[in-house]
Amino acid sequence: MTTTPSALRWPAAEQIDLGRAPLTVLDRDRTQPFLLLHGGAGPHSVTGFGDLLAARLNTRVLMPTHPGFAGTDRPAGLAGIPALAALYADLLDRLDVWDVTVAGNSIGGWVAAELALLGSPRVSGAVLINAVGLEVPDHPITDISGLSPAQVQALAWKDPGRVPPNPAQPGPDFAALAAYTGMTMSDPALGDRLADLDLPVKVIWGAADGIAGPDYGRAYAAAIPGATFTLIEDAGHLPQLEAPEELLAAVRAER
Amino acid sequence: MTGLAVTRVGHSCHLLEIGGRTLLTDPWFTVTPTYDPGEPLAMSVAGLPALDAIVITHEHYDHCDLDALLALRDVPVIGPGTVAVRARERGWTDVRELEAWDSTTIGNVTVTATPGRHGVHEVTYVIQGGGRTVFFGGDSLLVPAFKELPGRFGAFDLALLPTNGLCVRPAGGMQVVMNATEAAELTAILRPRVAIPHHYAFTSGRLGDLMITKGDREPLAFASEVARLVPATEVRVVLPGQRVIPVSGS
Repeated sequence: MTTTPSALRWPAAEQIDLGRAPLTVLDRDRTQPFLLLHGGAGPHSVTGFGDLLAARLNTRVLMPTHPGFAGTDRPAGLAGIPALAALYADLLDRLDVWDVTVAGNSIGGWVAAELALLGSPRVSGAVLINAVGLEVPDHPITDISGLSPAQVQALAWKDPGRVPPNPAQPGPDFAALAAYTGMTMSDPALGDRLADLDLPVKVIWGAADGIAGPDYGRAYAAAIPGATFTLIEDAGHLPQLEAPEELLAAVRAER
Repeated sequence: MTGLAVTRVGHSCHLLEIGGRTLLTDPWFTVTPTYDPGEPLAMSVAGLPALDAIVITHEHYDHCDLDALLALRDVPVIGPGTVAVRARERGWTDVRELEAWDSTTIGNVTVTATPGRHGVHEVTYVIQGGGRTVFFGGDSLLVPAFKELPGRFGAFDLALLPTNGLCVRPAGGMQVVMNATEAAELTAILRPRVAIPHHYAFTSGRLGDLMITKGDREPLAFASEVARLVPATEVRVVLPGQRVIPVSGS
């Protein structure tokens, strides 16, 4: 268990000089922010839900773009999900945010799980939304390599009729995805490491997911001590797009 | 039969595509300290497609943001007298003043004002075109006259309804907007194929929510009440920008 000196969360007054008069300011911020991580569908796939989360919980939601997605640069050395998780741990340090709930969808959920495992004192919980990364022999993840975007959408959405007609950045972003996952979508060692995770974790699952089905999700929850499992009937792999209000309710629920 | 689609811009402001025409309902594009939609708008005024009409239920700021639309003064404004005055003051010339049961046409789309009730004078609307029928409820309370709507207009494809049960604290907590249960009762009267809640994300700010307004920001209560009362109606809770295409009934 990570311990942190209390003084770090209740810092002493700062001097802020605006030019006209030196100000002594005591700043207290008990915001409980979210780090919301997108999956292969790209950053736009979580934006609307992040806005909803921020507005409804009056909180701060950080939504980074994984380097390489949506036209951003990915340094050649940045590869693998753990490297991405370490990058985000550094981001939380840089922003000096505390009591962060790390939430992620699909591979973003995998990154969230890895980040939770890093033991940062800034991370107080994780929400895994149709996450991948775990190896579940009885319920394998559907191999989407070689499929067209339309075929992936047919698997990912409960109602493909809800797919936005002309998204500015169509997902999935296969090249960026491959750089982080090698398109295997799971790490055989993740299950054993999750067994030692000592954080509150919610596993939330769109039921009509043709990529990672509900039984895969149940196995994910079962791999994490104390994790809860919530099924969202009216959604597939992307509940934040198909049933954002239901997902919000599940995130806020006491269990 | 032509296409019907609706895209919620934010709050009760929707882009309605019906009968080959595009109408904007209850425009609101400008945030003030105690008037915040509580959600990002799907598009700016500059990002709007060409409009054939602007349909307004009443003059409150969060429904009648005409000052944001001054560049669109060539687009007809449809509203009750209280709105018509404001539109003419701002230079609109094609102003269709409608009170309950009055109609006007935009091409082959018929817009009929229907009764409403709120803290100020308000009408609601039934909009018909291309064989499709839509009810737009603004932020009205539930009124008995809504029972007449199916008899007068037939089957509804789509209902756009407020659900937050807004109460005004300085007015002794007077309720001015229908709540989720009342909106579900109205849905049971109209029996539309699709119902979309609106007017629930709004906030008056931290202190304003404590001192001025009180409203329910959770749209799911409406969805579960409709599922119980009128399961044939599909409730779509949409974030701004999601375009919904209700399937035709015939």
